[in-house]
Amino acid sequence: MTGVIVEAVTKSFRAGRGVDPLVALDGVDMHIDAGELVSIVGVSGCGKTTLLNIVGGLETATAGQIRIDGDLIVGPGPDRGMVFQGYSLFPWKSVTQNIAFGLECARWPKARRQGRIDELLGVTGLTEFAGHRPDQLSGGMRQRVAIARALAPEPDVLLLDEPFGSLDAQTKRVMQDFLLSVQARTSATILLVTHDVSEAIYLSQRVYVMASRPGRVLEEIAVPFGSVRGPAVLRDARFLDLREEIEELLHAPSPLASSSSEQAIPAQAAPPLPPPVPL
Amino acid sequence: MSIVPQDDPEPVAIESTAPPNRQPTVSSAPSATTTGTRGRRHQALMRLRGDIPRSVHLGLAALGVLVLLGGWALLATSMGSESFLLPTPAEAWAAGVDLYRSGDLMADLSASGRRIAIGYGISIVIGVAFGVLIGSFRSAAAFVEPQVALLRYIPASALTPLFLLWLGIDEAPKIALIVVGTVFYNILMVADVARAVPKELVNASYTLGAGRLTILRRVLLPYSWPGIIDVARVNLAAAWLMLVVAELLAAQQGLAFRVVRAQRFRQVDTMFALLIVFAAIGLVSDLALRALRNRTAPWSEGSR
Repeated sequence: MTGVIVEAVTKSFRAGRGVDPLVALDGVDMHIDAGELVSIVGVSGCGKTTLLNIVGGLETATAGQIRIDGDLIVGPGPDRGMVFQGYSLFPWKSVTQNIAFGLECARWPKARRQGRIDELLGVTGLTEFAGHRPDQLSGGMRQRVAIARALAPEPDVLLLDEPFGSLDAQTKRVMQDFLLSVQARTSATILLVTHDVSEAIYLSQRVYVMASRPGRVLEEIAVPFGSVRGPAVLRDARFLDLREEIEELLHAPSPLASSSSEQAIPAQAAPPLPPPVPL
Repeated sequence: MSIVPQDDPEPVAIESTAPPNRQPTVSSAPSATTTGTRGRRHQALMRLRGDIPRSVHLGLAALGVLVLLGGWALLATSMGSESFLLPTPAEAWAAGVDLYRSGDLMADLSASGRRIAIGYGISIVIGVAFGVLIGSFRSAAAFVEPQVALLRYIPASALTPLFLLWLGIDEAPKIALIVVGTVFYNILMVADVARAVPKELVNASYTLGAGRLTILRRVLLPYSWPGIIDVARVNLAAAWLMLVVAELLAAQQGLAFRVVRAQRFRQVDTMFALLIVFAAIGLVSDLALRALRNRTAPWSEGSR
């Protein structure tokens, strides 16, 4: 298996009569090898979600192409499981029924289906909640269902669009470790879109840094921790250096952001606590 | 109330080294004297959008109905010589019981109910089919929506003479009138419901390997279901309106026919009894549809 190859993908939108078309992606080249976890980081509006949707087949490229194991991508398919920020679970279906949807579409025989569902419930720690509806679950659990649902039909690639973006910091960390454990167990090929630089370094083997207007790849950065992933990474001194390097790349056009490392904190990081005041 | 350490009556050594504005690490009881109140207290029942206990809710509802009945009774007894124009609630009730005993009420009820069931049933089926298509496919919307928008402005009641001419005076024109009077609203409102299905849900289904027909049947329709019930609830009133129009013109049976007949014999109390029957049917069908929604779509926002 050769993995995913993104070749010179360009996407432009017509902005209106007499206005130059909006170039969302301009000649993007990427590759994701089999079994690799690769992240795309970029500020909002850099076209990273558009790129992911093109890989998923939900949008079409204006120019360029995407191949997976030599096959050209022309539309969506169960070989590329997708997970969205908003979970997008079927609200009327139970956890089991949500996971089963892709298997039913692929006409898995019933006996095999149940085995696969049980396996995924186990992997995602949702066995006790098999009969619950999404509205009865927490955000982190919902996203675990979404990941299990996407994994169910055994996709070649898992595409994650800001999957932990709406979770609180603690749940986010748990989910990141969960994703790593899923990859360790299933050796899935994963492409993750995020605006969280720490998350990208924490999780991936390689990081593509994208710039906006037009959306393009600024740099491809190999995360030097080898097979060591997860919490150990945070204690590595190179983690902070790498984060700073990527932050500077992201904020390069703005002189303010690159002047000091203090200002290069990710946008979503919590603001420093105000000094304590008397109640 | 302030808990500044300096005010503390028994400062311990550790506190004196703490910064002046920080609460002591060894906590001590805050000063226990109340010097005043802060914030404005609200009356529990009149809080804006506040919750009220269920018992209070039911009590207020019952009170509302009683006030309505009481006002009616008061008005009716103060009519003097014209009192035959407005019966008291008790007289209307008695007339209703008479109507029931004669067997007419049940015959009328079933005749009218049958017309509504067939006519509105057809209207809902057409409304769901076209509405979901319009809401799901831009091409269907472009083709059908202008037609519906145009036809919708023809008052259905103005079509009555035409239907009588085309379809005779039996059941067919009455059912047709109910269909025409409600179907366009059903189509457009169901289309809005179907349009409200999140695009991400459709996209997620595609990436799970679902085809268009599967998504239509297994995603769009179930997601729209509670919304469709709401549409059916709202437009049911229009169906009864069209039924009355139809029965006023030509009928041998039916609730509205009975109202006209009662008017001919100046039986105002019977007329009132029939009006209450209309109101009761509306209330019961509304509650039934609401119960259906809660039962079949407990996951939906409006259900509970």
